[in-house]
Amino acid sequence: MIQVQNLRKEFKITRKVRKELGAGAPAGKTLTAVDDVSFVCKPGRVFGLLGPNGAGKTTALRLIATMLKPTAGTIVVNGVDAGTDPRAVRDHIGFLTGNTGLYDRLTATEMVKYHADLHRMDPREFEARRDTLFHTLGITDFAGRRIARLSSGMRQKVSIARTIIHDPDVIVFDEPTSGLDVMTSRGIVNLIRDCRDAGKTVLFSTHIMGEVQQLCDDIGVLHRGRMYFCGSKEEFETQMTHSSYEDEFIHMVGEAA
Amino acid sequence: MTRIHTIVKKEFTDTLRDKRTILTMIVMPLLLVPILMNLTIRITQRQQRKAEVELIDLAFIGGEYAPRLLELVQADSQFVVREDVRENEFEQLIRDDTLDAGIVVPPDFLERITADEQAEVVLYYRSSSSFAVAEGRLRSVIGDYDGEIVDGRIRRMSLDPDLFEAIAVEARDISTMQEVLGKTVGGFLPYMFIIFMFTGAMYAGIDLSAGEKERGTLETLLSSPASRLEIVLGKFAVVATVGIASALISMFGLYLGVRGIEDIPPEAMEAVWEILSVKVVVMIATLLLPLAAFFAAMILALAIQAKSFKEAQSTLTPLSIVVIMPVVFGLLPGIELNAQTALIPVLNVSLATKEVIAGTINPLHLVMSYASLFVLAAASIWFCVVWFNREETLFRS
Repeated sequence: MIQVQNLRKEFKITRKVRKELGAGAPAGKTLTAVDDVSFVCKPGRVFGLLGPNGAGKTTALRLIATMLKPTAGTIVVNGVDAGTDPRAVRDHIGFLTGNTGLYDRLTATEMVKYHADLHRMDPREFEARRDTLFHTLGITDFAGRRIARLSSGMRQKVSIARTIIHDPDVIVFDEPTSGLDVMTSRGIVNLIRDCRDAGKTVLFSTHIMGEVQQLCDDIGVLHRGRMYFCGSKEEFETQMTHSSYEDEFIHMVGEAA
Repeated sequence: MTRIHTIVKKEFTDTLRDKRTILTMIVMPLLLVPILMNLTIRITQRQQRKAEVELIDLAFIGGEYAPRLLELVQADSQFVVREDVRENEFEQLIRDDTLDAGIVVPPDFLERITADEQAEVVLYYRSSSSFAVAEGRLRSVIGDYDGEIVDGRIRRMSLDPDLFEAIAVEARDISTMQEVLGKTVGGFLPYMFIIFMFTGAMYAGIDLSAGEKERGTLETLLSSPASRLEIVLGKFAVVATVGIASALISMFGLYLGVRGIEDIPPEAMEAVWEILSVKVVVMIATLLLPLAAFFAAMILALAIQAKSFKEAQSTLTPLSIVVIMPVVFGLLPGIELNAQTALIPVLNVSLATKEVIAGTINPLHLVMSYASLFVLAAASIWFCVVWFNREETLFRS
């Protein structure tokens, strides 16, 4: 379970950053990427974090994965406070980043083994889990091939295997189907569903409304760092004033703008 | 296996599969050093031999005033004497390489010699021309003639030859060949291994920090249970090891280069074997350790701040000049390892290596060099950890 309470994250705008951002730089000395955000992701449910580019989705996920420290607020993952024991939180989480984040010069097996070792998995347990995952994801055929020689779909499969090799209770996916073909996307959607059915807590960010409709049990709409909606899928549908998810989302975000 | 071991193991696998690192760590020092060294020495030797046997075109004016000198010059098969050139043409002809040198004897030459006075001759030559062979050869012939005249005067006046040589110097060089090599070749050795250590460590360091950031793999590593300190130490160990390996391989390349040189005197070769004794190699290796630690930490701390491999490369490449400067200072005459220079990083390694090879190292200065390098390495690692803990550094985008 992930419990996020009044989460806030500010980034200092240094002279260098201001120069890099140019006209798009905010007026103040800080940029608030996440502003007073609260939500709960429950086990056996999929929480979809929706938002346009720059909404603060990735920052929120990085805060949950303890890569960033919050300016204010609390994050509790499976009963562990991220502020006091970030390493234990990372141990509970499987985090799939926005890009595949794989080492080109390693093979698929080496890549997955590396993360298993970082999680200090028992070698025998690793082998069994690797075989199952490679079979499920269809990696076995190219397991010994270096990542540089894999297609984007194959790479995403390896990335997923790396994320969940240690069988985490909490899985965080940052736009997992972004840039993938229909077949690979379908496979990932099925995997997320399987994780949910296995009682895992799944949090994923996306801006693909079809996936939200298909997968999510709970929805959070994030825009400019603030949560504009947070509730169950049913609650979202009840308050909808437009016929489709996409129209409703555009209306919500547009209104906020 | 600890997480640091896991990171080290993975980084080694990754690094040793990187063509750029292999090129800077193994191929360059192992091939380039012996090839360049042999090529330079062979070309220099060939040019020198060529210059030595080449005929010297010499213009001689006033031969009639110094017939004996003209005779001596003509007797030397290396000179082709031309008496048809005017004195005012000398400079231009020598500049144009039509002539190698010129000599002008004044009309009163013989008169002054006969009167037991000092006579003058004027030499024209170019010291910038290859090896200044013409000047040396000409001075030698004039020197012989001068000796003849002085001997004649001494005999005629029945003087004691010792009258003209008040002090007889018997030079006894007590330097061993090892000391001589230490002070000469010893300066070149650190120049080689420090440059290769830095460049080897630089490519690995950039790849493991800015490269990881650029490829997005750092984010996945940060989401693992490994702490920032474990990540830094793992990467640091690999970069430092690559630096040491590059330095050692460059030294091996140098050894191969030395072996390939012909005409090395046996006593010099004996001294080379003396230099390669276990004691000397171990002492140099212990100097390499803290230096590699310092380089690795400094490279990682700077490279992690860059957004891409390219940006890190443009930051660190000029730094290699800063690193070379102290090594160059170490090659200057008169700069020795003392209480002050032992505290200056890189320069202390350069000077201490020379002293270790020559066998003249002062243990106190060696300890001071170690202490200075270890303090600096520790401070660099600390800085590195601080940078790796800064969100602005890691997520600069």
